[in-house]
Amino acid sequence: MPEVIQQNLPFLLAGLAMTARLAAIGIVGGTLLGLVLAIVRHARIPLLNPLAVAYIEIVRGTPLLVVLFICFFALPSFFGYRTNAVDAAALGFVLFIAAYLAEDFRSGLRSVRPGLTQAGLATGLTPVQVFFLIVLPQAVRRAIPPVFSQYVRLFKFTSVASVIGVRELTGSALLVNAREFQPVAIIATVALTYLVICSAMSLVGRWLYARLAIRS
Amino acid sequence: MSAAPLIVLDHVCKQYGTNPVLRDCSLSVAAGEIVVVCGPSGSGKSTLIKCINGLEPYQSGSIRFEGQEVGARGTDLPRLRARIGMVFQSFELYPHMTAVQNVMLAQVHVLKRSRAEARERSLELLTRVGLRERAEAYPANLSGGQQQRVAIARALALDPVAMLFDEPTSALDPEMINEVLDVMVGLAQDGMTMVVVTHEMGFARRVASRVVFMDEGRIVEDRPSEQFFRAPETERARIFLSKIIAH
Repeated sequence: MPEVIQQNLPFLLAGLAMTARLAAIGIVGGTLLGLVLAIVRHARIPLLNPLAVAYIEIVRGTPLLVVLFICFFALPSFFGYRTNAVDAAALGFVLFIAAYLAEDFRSGLRSVRPGLTQAGLATGLTPVQVFFLIVLPQAVRRAIPPVFSQYVRLFKFTSVASVIGVRELTGSALLVNAREFQPVAIIATVALTYLVICSAMSLVGRWLYARLAIRS
Repeated sequence: MSAAPLIVLDHVCKQYGTNPVLRDCSLSVAAGEIVVVCGPSGSGKSTLIKCINGLEPYQSGSIRFEGQEVGARGTDLPRLRARIGMVFQSFELYPHMTAVQNVMLAQVHVLKRSRAEARERSLELLTRVGLRERAEAYPANLSGGQQQRVAIARALALDPVAMLFDEPTSALDPEMINEVLDVMVGLAQDGMTMVVVTHEMGFARRVASRVVFMDEGRIVEDRPSEQFFRAPETERARIFLSKIIAH
């Protein structure tokens, strides 16, 4: 390990911890919001459906950095609350990734054969029971590969939070570099760290998909 | 035979847009009767039986099951459906659940049986269809004939008073047809009320009380099976019968 990294290890590890925290919040919150949006779209729930469509289209057409600016500057000013860079970034990641996850879950929902719904209904299950017991579990399984690639994207996207002053891995590395000026060692270490963690996430996704796969 | 028929269809009409699929269909099925519905593809057979448990809506006429109007606004469809088992052409087992879980699901969530009770009943039924040892297998690891037998067990798990079969052997390889038909013959011998859409005329001859022949959305013939097989009344049914029995 390069000396400059060793000397600044606690600081960089704190940055990595912040990256992990932001990614975790984004994954959990984004998955929940994404599922809700996907269900609203899939079930074409009146009133909410057009809102979900608008939300997904707007977010997908907005750069991540702009979403973070909105969460850091615009929303607090508009709704009159105080925030900090970390909370604003966490909110931004949830809002951002949910729009993409919603589309992945929705295509999972659409891939479930309608015959299975009929079979469930024929046994006396209500439409809501059919959805949660039969359709959704299959849709989520089918969505694992695209969903995990969103998780991996999100993990890398957390670096953008450095722009609004969050000391996550990239932000911390930039601060270390400003003091030490050893860009090759510092940036290479950071890049390698992202690569290793992203590869591990992909592996987990593949393992989960193989474990839960629906062979048909 | 009980006085009031279990299933009564009275002048039922249904169309998709302007395309009629059922035209003025009337039919009644008494408890214990086995009615085989046959006819060329597109004649409305599947639609007809899917109307009986409310999977397909109909525009006019009336369908009553145990005296209750299926299409009425206030009808508790889940409750009505739980009393009618249904078996589909393409099995439709839940692929993320094992055979025994497939059979358990509605027992737990519709009949509110305990998991232990539901499991015990499921294993009993899987034994009855000859698949006790495959209870923990996923549908993808079962043959078509085995999947269809699990599907029959799943339908029986709710202790239905009638069973609907929608071409239960049409998606099967020839060597698997008999294992499914054997289970159905067993059910018939136990006195189950059955409405079976099928082209298996051997099965019809053996167990059907009546044969209904449909063409272009109409019930063209509805006669006791021995009469139907001796000599169909209509030219259309005669041609159909000669075609499917010829090969």
